[in-house]
Amino acid sequence: MSALPQGFETLEPFVDQWAVAGSAERAARRDASTAEARETFYAAASPLLTSALDRLDGRPLAEHDASETRLMQLMLSLAHVALAVELQQDDEPKHQPLRREMRITRTPAD
Amino acid sequence: MNAPVQPFEPVAEDSLAWLGTDPVPAAPYYDPAWFEDEREAVFRRSWLQIGHVCELPEPGSFIRREVEILRASLLIVRSKDGAIRAFHNVCTHRGTQLVEEAQGKRSTFSCPYHRWTFGNDGRLLSAPDFERFHVTKEDCALPQVAVDTCGGLIFVNFDPAGPQPLRDYLGSMAERLEALPSAQATTFSEYVYETDANWKLTYDNFQENYHLRFIHPRSGAATIGEDNPFGYPLRYGFEGPHRTQTIWANPAPKIAPVQGMAFGRAMACVAADGFEASATGRDYLALFPNFFVLGSPTQPFSHTVWPIAAGKSRGVVRIYWKGEDDSASRRFVREYMMATARDIHAEDRAVIAAGHRGLASGALKHIHFQSQEVLCRHLYRSVAERVQKWREAHRI
Repeated sequence: MSALPQGFETLEPFVDQWAVAGSAERAARRDASTAEARETFYAAASPLLTSALDRLDGRPLAEHDASETRLMQLMLSLAHVALAVELQQDDEPKHQPLRREMRITRTPAD
Repeated sequence: MNAPVQPFEPVAEDSLAWLGTDPVPAAPYYDPAWFEDEREAVFRRSWLQIGHVCELPEPGSFIRREVEILRASLLIVRSKDGAIRAFHNVCTHRGTQLVEEAQGKRSTFSCPYHRWTFGNDGRLLSAPDFERFHVTKEDCALPQVAVDTCGGLIFVNFDPAGPQPLRDYLGSMAERLEALPSAQATTFSEYVYETDANWKLTYDNFQENYHLRFIHPRSGAATIGEDNPFGYPLRYGFEGPHRTQTIWANPAPKIAPVQGMAFGRAMACVAADGFEASATGRDYLALFPNFFVLGSPTQPFSHTVWPIAAGKSRGVVRIYWKGEDDSASRRFVREYMMATARDIHAEDRAVIAAGHRGLASGALKHIHFQSQEVLCRHLYRSVAERVQKWREAHRI
């Protein structure tokens, strides 16, 4: 039994670190990650973002099975990681402590 | 077909001259005595944005809100009759706060101390051994605070003399609020921060663009451009103590891959929700004293800056969404947009506090606003006018 839907097996090594529930927890994973971990994840996941969302859009969120939920969570973590890799770049270590003060209290994904 | 892009023209200085050009006194930005007068002259006598109707979806829904500057805890409820009411969260027996939960659904509120029980219309329904009291239940209803809504937003007003109606207070802002995506919101994302800075200093950071290129070099790249290096707005508007700006955005920003995918899917959501990006997309409406909201349908957000003390504020940022997350794309878009806004706001907090530390030293008698910081000047004038009137009326 694969942890992720068929076609997304290459992302399995990232499940433990990045497939987590809750926006605040995903933001915290970005905060706690190394540059290498972010870049490796971004390189593997960003080319699959379009196909993953298209695949997941095929069924209502509420009906996703465990493997689809994990893939969704990976892509949601990619949203956070992409901000670090694409925009903050080498400013990310300086930016990280600033974000900690912005407490996420609620999102529709929680 | 895209229309040709007009080169940027900043708002002409002579059109803003009526607001003055003099240096502004520094003391109102840190002085505890001034803050005490703001408490009465501004915050006890203005409509304050405190929530959104989507937080009170059905009869019995309630939210508790703390308003530190007025030392108040409010219960804002949707009563059985569907009306929204606001009560002080205080038992009329001996003042005990009734409710600890931040939100929920209840038909009654029962005091933990002696079990006085109130309906969600505020009436005292029952109290043990009540016949030993020398008062009627009718006289023991929860004290109310004026409440009204506009464009989905809930406002309260503590004015002891009875407030002017909300729509009169808002003027033409009312219709503009109703046209924003936030008016149709059914849910929202929220993040909250506290900063060791005066509320005006905090709020001012978000109504001038002069700082963008220095404080947001990476996250705010799309807000500046070659012919508008500071990202100044296209227009300003003023109505009584309220103010607006029309946001300029770089017509050809550099877009990174995931960023581009997120915005592409966001535009699809906007279209599916029936929003027209062109209608309100550049609207920034600032409502006196401490609230502003943006109309961009991909990221319609509001920001309320609550004063806690002369040198301490709390910011509440909410990004408004229409409908639940029904698809993976929608959920991804909302996560990305929330994280984007939070990344930008995170960059402002420390520099705001550094400003407060500098001012609170007393080193400066005055601060300076350039013509493109006119919204900051307008806030100062609106506050000062009220504080000075208050001082004239209450000090002999």
